[in-house]
Amino acid sequence: MAINATCESTASPPVNGGASHSLTHGANGSLASALADTGVNELLGELDRDLIGLAPVKTRIREIAALLLVDRLRRERGFSAGGPSLHMCFTGNPGTGKTTVAMRMATILHRLGYIRKGHLVAVTRDDLVGQYIGHTAPKTKEVLKKAMGGVLFIDEAYYLYRPENERDYGQEAIEILLQVMENHRDDLVVILAGYKDRMARFFESNPGMSSRIAHHIDFPDYQADELALIAQRMLDAMHYRFDDEAKIVFDDYLTRRMAQPHFANARSVRNAIDRARLRHAYRLYSHPDAATSDESLTTIAAADLLASRVFADGDTR
Amino acid sequence: MGAVENIQITDAKRRYSAGVLKYAQMGYWDGDYEPKETDLLALFRITPQEGVDPVEAAAAVAGESSTATWTVVWTDRLTACDMYRAKAYRVEPVPNQSGQYFCYVAYDLSLFEEGSIANLTASIIGNVFSFKPLKAARLEDMRLPVAYVKTFRGPPTGIIVERERLDKYGRPLLGATVKPKLGLSGRNYGRVVYEALKGGLDFTKDDENINSQPFMHWRDRFLYCMEGVYRASAASGEVKGHYLNITAGTMEEMYRRAELARELGSVVMMVDLIIGWTAIQSISNWARENDMILHMHRAGHGTYTRQKSHGVSFRVVAKWLRLAGVDHLHAGTAVGKLEGDPMTVQGYYNICRDAKTEIDLPRGIFFEQDWGALRKVMPVASGGIHAAQMHQLLDLFGDDVVLQFGGGTIGHPMGIQAGAEANRVALETMVLARNEGRDIRNEGLEILRTAAKSCQPLRAALDTWGKVSFNYTSTDTSDFVPTASVA
Amino acid sequence: MRVTQGTFSFLPELTDEQIKRQIEYCLDKGWAVAIEYTDDPHPRNTFWEMYGAPMFDLRDAAGIIQELAACRKTFPQYYVRVTAFDSTHGVESITLAFIVNRPANEPGFRLVRQEEPGRTVRYTIESYAVAAKPEGARY
Repeated sequence: MAINATCESTASPPVNGGASHSLTHGANGSLASALADTGVNELLGELDRDLIGLAPVKTRIREIAALLLVDRLRRERGFSAGGPSLHMCFTGNPGTGKTTVAMRMATILHRLGYIRKGHLVAVTRDDLVGQYIGHTAPKTKEVLKKAMGGVLFIDEAYYLYRPENERDYGQEAIEILLQVMENHRDDLVVILAGYKDRMARFFESNPGMSSRIAHHIDFPDYQADELALIAQRMLDAMHYRFDDEAKIVFDDYLTRRMAQPHFANARSVRNAIDRARLRHAYRLYSHPDAATSDESLTTIAAADLLASRVFADGDTR
Repeated sequence: MGAVENIQITDAKRRYSAGVLKYAQMGYWDGDYEPKETDLLALFRITPQEGVDPVEAAAAVAGESSTATWTVVWTDRLTACDMYRAKAYRVEPVPNQSGQYFCYVAYDLSLFEEGSIANLTASIIGNVFSFKPLKAARLEDMRLPVAYVKTFRGPPTGIIVERERLDKYGRPLLGATVKPKLGLSGRNYGRVVYEALKGGLDFTKDDENINSQPFMHWRDRFLYCMEGVYRASAASGEVKGHYLNITAGTMEEMYRRAELARELGSVVMMVDLIIGWTAIQSISNWARENDMILHMHRAGHGTYTRQKSHGVSFRVVAKWLRLAGVDHLHAGTAVGKLEGDPMTVQGYYNICRDAKTEIDLPRGIFFEQDWGALRKVMPVASGGIHAAQMHQLLDLFGDDVVLQFGGGTIGHPMGIQAGAEANRVALETMVLARNEGRDIRNEGLEILRTAAKSCQPLRAALDTWGKVSFNYTSTDTSDFVPTASVA
Repeated sequence: MRVTQGTFSFLPELTDEQIKRQIEYCLDKGWAVAIEYTDDPHPRNTFWEMYGAPMFDLRDAAGIIQELAACRKTFPQYYVRVTAFDSTHGVESITLAFIVNRPANEPGFRLVRQEEPGRTVRYTIESYAVAAKPEGARY
């Protein structure tokens, strides 16, 4: 990817001697200095560091960043192609990072000047669709007004469409959304999110929506080693650690849990850690006479994990 | 400061045997005293006579402003005198002012009658300012406990309700005092009111010494002014007002004038500070009952506020007036013809407008003051200001202020309406620019000149007064930072 | 005549771009913005009709500009104003209000004087447009 190469070259002096960091420094301007101006490099770097895995997602974000940047340079030189459409669809299972990436995306689009404010408004069907006739349009419009200047993230967007009920007001919300997605591209970016198969069916029944979504990004499930790394990050942030035995047990836990139903990737990891904290605390509480060292307060032991029902044979939780 | 003679005598026999003791020995100095939340606190700047120990001087201030007299009296022992005695609890030299000391005194809440500024002032400034052992004394600041604040009703209208009544938001209000101060007949006087209001001002104003003189009796003034007010209101679709000065020789006469102001449909009336605290609180109650904005002209305050070494600071007067209950208060301009260093003046404005005033030494605020939901006073900037200073005024004081351009309206070369229009256009232009994020402090004049291209009256105003400034050193400045005067 | 209520009535009519910048100022301060309209511009007519509820929690002016355009389209000959509300304790009131649409012809107000004893006068301000026609047919 070309943009990667230029990212690295920011360390070398800009072509025009660094006199100006403006994007309008004539025919000699380098992409590198243009990129440096936006601060997007740092954001993409952070994205790489902070988010485990998600390689195809990160690639697509870099591509979009590249497109917007090049577009800006082209515009300044008078090569106009009209603003690109950036409405997106994020598909993937729960806990694969869709909301997190959407928030990052809002910041990146803001830095690149595509949206004015860079905030994210996350909604579901209930926020858009009313229960009575005449309620849906004002509700949807209010949400759209709040999202202007930023990103509107509609989680489980397929619930907007309920073919089994021909009087469903969801269709009204879809119509208004479509209008705004077409006529107010400068004002907001819409991201639809949900399970891949259900989104596919939704688009089949709503070709108008499908044709207005330029980017389909699929969020793969995490691998076991990625999940272990995610757990590590979460623990660090909360000032906990696994002891050596607990690390091994947690790997085993992940393998078992992933095979069970309702596995929700990073969200399941978060839940597992929360429950381990509970057991850790209760273990300390049950031995009130033992000295509480920093070590004991911060270390989750194998026993705190092994008590999980995941290890109980035949239990599906 | 822990010298033996400054320590309270606790042995009852020695303490109450007839004779003369030092104030500190009598118990008016307690360096370890921790002020209670319910205490009134006062900060005095004192200049003791040569050879007078500052601690003893501070104790004397505390004594003379509470229970003490010059000699020991046994009748003290019939009271809980330890509590009634005010306590000087801190004395420190004023930075860079040799011979002057800041002395902090705490007063128990039970020393004061509720809801009476007359009582408060009789205590705090009743005796001590003539006290011989002090060359000079100045009351710099006071902290009034919320429990005490809540015994006052405060401004009858307040900034928020005033704006709602006038339907004017998001910008300073504009006013002008009718000039010449004296001599106009009622008919001619009303003409100035009409012209200024029609031209674009929100308020016009009687001056402090316009009452009922041979050249214009008060009824005439009221009738002609209200004709001007309503004509201008009909011509603009805006609510307009004229501060009808009801100051008179007796309370009965003031009420009579207030009644006519109300009957004629005036939204506002005014009194002078010199009517006295009791009259102010009474007329404030009347204003509250009659939905009338009460404008306070601080006539006479300079006699005790101006000198840094002696008197009462205006910040204290402003606090008392907020308690007593006025809606408008002249609080200085910083850039005009009257006394006032910019930061000190901003301190007065904060006292008028804060919900809670924080300690701010560069602005002369020594105590935190919780205003206990008392309404806010609209400060008034008046005296030698003009349209070319609009950016400085807006930058210094923000939106909640009445800017009064008397000469700057009536002295306009194209006439009074043009003068008013120039001020209103300058003001709206500057608010628009500030809200758009322009740096009005530095680009202000340029912004005005651009606006003047499409506004002939503003152009004339800038040509006439663009270079007028009053650059004199202020006498009343903070001791804590070197203060620069605004050009 | 020209009704000069509102914060910017002495300036040339604001462009949409200028209006947008004022709205951005309000949103940056955390104020809620509302649109109101009337065909009765009497100075004491406090309650203009609300074109929808005040818009809370908005980040960008675009949504408000869109509402304003719709309001002007529906009421081209009405007075329309943008108002901003600050819910901070101790304010809880309007903090900015400016007219963004007005009828082409503003006939203004008549001053009615009811004379009383002692040269006292009771003043009434009466809108020519309101006196002439019923609501909805005035401008």
